[in-house]
Amino acid sequence: MYKFIKTYTEQMHAATIYPLFSLLVFFIFFIVLLYFVKKMDKATINEISNIPLDLDETTTTGN
Amino acid sequence: MQVEKFYYDNRIVKNFAYATILWGVVGMLVGLWVSLQLVFPSLNITRYGSFGRLRPLHTNAVIFAFVGNGIFMGVYYSLQRLCKARMFSDALSKVHFWGWQLIIVAAVITLPMGITTSKEYAELEWPIDIAITIIWVVFGWNMFGTIIKRREKHLYVAIWFYIATLVTVAVLHIVNSFELPISLFKSYSWYAGVQDALVQWWYGHNAVAFFLTTPYLGLMYYFMPKAANRPVYSYRLSIIHFWSLIFLYIWAGPHHLLYTALPNWAQSLGVVFSLMLIFPSWGGMINGLLTLRGAWDKVRDDVILKFMVVAVTAYGMATFEGPMLSLKSISAVSHYTDWIIAHVHVGALGWNGMLTFGILYWLIPRLFSTSLYSKKLANSHFWLSTLGIVFYAVPLYWAGFTQSSMWKQFTEAGQLKYTFLETVTYMKPFYAMRSLGGTLYLLGACLMVYNIYKTVKSGSLVANEAAEAAPLLKDGEKHAGEHWHRWIERKPVQMMVISLIVILIGGAAEMIPTFLIKSNIPTIASVKPYTPLELQGRDIYVREGCYLCHSQMIRPFRSETERYGEYSKAGEFVYDHPFQWGSKRTGPDLAREGAGNLKKTDGWHFRHFREPSSMSEGSIMPAYPFLLEQDLDISNTEAKIRAMQTLGVPYEKGYDKLAVADLVAQSQTIADNLKNDSIRISPKKEVIALIAYMQRMGTDIAKPLTSQNK
Repeated sequence: MYKFIKTYTEQMHAATIYPLFSLLVFFIFFIVLLYFVKKMDKATINEISNIPLDLDETTTTGN
Repeated sequence: MQVEKFYYDNRIVKNFAYATILWGVVGMLVGLWVSLQLVFPSLNITRYGSFGRLRPLHTNAVIFAFVGNGIFMGVYYSLQRLCKARMFSDALSKVHFWGWQLIIVAAVITLPMGITTSKEYAELEWPIDIAITIIWVVFGWNMFGTIIKRREKHLYVAIWFYIATLVTVAVLHIVNSFELPISLFKSYSWYAGVQDALVQWWYGHNAVAFFLTTPYLGLMYYFMPKAANRPVYSYRLSIIHFWSLIFLYIWAGPHHLLYTALPNWAQSLGVVFSLMLIFPSWGGMINGLLTLRGAWDKVRDDVILKFMVVAVTAYGMATFEGPMLSLKSISAVSHYTDWIIAHVHVGALGWNGMLTFGILYWLIPRLFSTSLYSKKLANSHFWLSTLGIVFYAVPLYWAGFTQSSMWKQFTEAGQLKYTFLETVTYMKPFYAMRSLGGTLYLLGACLMVYNIYKTVKSGSLVANEAAEAAPLLKDGEKHAGEHWHRWIERKPVQMMVISLIVILIGGAAEMIPTFLIKSNIPTIASVKPYTPLELQGRDIYVREGCYLCHSQMIRPFRSETERYGEYSKAGEFVYDHPFQWGSKRTGPDLAREGAGNLKKTDGWHFRHFREPSSMSEGSIMPAYPFLLEQDLDISNTEAKIRAMQTLGVPYEKGYDKLAVADLVAQSQTIADNLKNDSIRISPKKEVIALIAYMQRMGTDIAKPLTSQNK
């Protein structure tokens, strides 16, 4: 396994894939994140962001 | 549904709060003291109190003792409330608290004794590293236990930050602490040279990111809405902010190594990701500040909000400045200067300090069921701190610019205009003004101690605070059509695993190629391992913390090659366990101290160590008379050579048995040289080894380069 990794990484041109791949991963991750965050339900957001304020200490949160 | 009655554990929060205050004052006091040592070198009293040994004590005390206890104080208070549950185990809480304090005490004892790995913010030796790992696991166990038995379905944003902190600090600490012990108090870093530097600054930068930033952002997301009595500005922004921040931060380490021998592609990656960091960082700042929307009138009267606003503003300033400093052209000016010291103190005094004070003023009256003893005193504290930060930072920004331009200035004839010493003596007034800023800040903290003492006296601890909430129904599965992030929010283990993957991507992409690709660190045939005496001398260099003021990394600028000689190459450091590149030039670079124009006689070094100002008038370096009195411990020489062999340094097989003889012979040569210079000293003294190391530096590649130049 180590030999396999070594063969592919001893040459610099092969290693440039790492940063490029990572940048791509981040870009896709970020776009998907933005999309889903935009689609989130407003009522849930309000509920969650009020958790620290203890507005209703006894609210059932399990249903 | 039947509600359950339970009690929050406030005693553990109180303990961590007291520890935060105590270590905060200690850390600031040591900081003030070391700043004064730069103005009055005579304050370097005894070997235990020299700058090189106390400065790590200051940084460790502030980061791990003051901010560390501050994190635990805030987490233990907020986590219980956010989970609507008491901490998982009182016993684990106690083990965590006392374990952490013992680690701090161990640091307070070992660092002044010179027991250090020399890796900045990771100076503690291997037994303490193991203790840190164990206590961190205890903290994680307690935290996850609490999260799992919670009565609140959602994990509020603060908890994500706590989870990311837990997992990332664990990874950083373990990877950076790979070291080979040779005795109970001495180890060698597993990595060497360029690789050691990359790992260290990957750690160093992320200690800032995941110890000083993410947990404090978690605290901001809890305590700021509490203090302002309104929810966080945008929950959506907090999701984006969180994931982008932890993804990007882990890449930023190489910006500490711009223009060094680190491969250029790694430097560029560090720059790009550091620049991108401005967005999630400011996302957090904006989210914090806008939480006060419609409540800005409260800031006028409420001292707690004042502290928090300045904290978040300082966070915004520091996280704007950080990416700017990561640009190569700005780093060329700022690196090694006091600009960086100013930058980190805007973060530490502004962001961490002010947020901690705000939280303490909010928390203590609630823990003791009373009200704050004096708002007026708290207000005075606020102004002293704010002015203290200004008086601290401005002189050092000024000093940094000035220092850098003096280093780089040439005369019309093309020679360097200033000697290094001239630039040092020019700094003294700025250092004095900085100490004034630090004094104001410390005075403010003392007012807080008094105010909190009186507040505590006026109330009584609510050790177990009653609360009630309905139990959480079992509905762990993802419902059809449910939002994916809501699913993660309810699953702490998934949250931890995904955070781990996100932070591993950046670290792996930078480290794996640096470790494996041969062309990144071209070997230089003339670079040879240290002689046993030089190796011992190098360990004294590490012990005395010389790297805190002297770099060993010449950048490829004319102003540096003129002053220090040929720029540093990656291949020169392959036997350096640990690397000693340093990050600050309070004194000159030493990479080629033994070669070329910089070479001095053994006698010069001897006299310089005994009393630096006798050779360099106006020098602010501490004197090291004890090196002339103390015998070098050579009993560990064989073990050191064997350890180096294990780490891949090519000493011949069986050389460990010959090492002591070589060491004795080389010591005698240096002692004879000194004798010719009218200095009579036994060859057994420590100073001999340190001189051997000084004379070795830069000599490896001096010869071939000279012949090339001819």
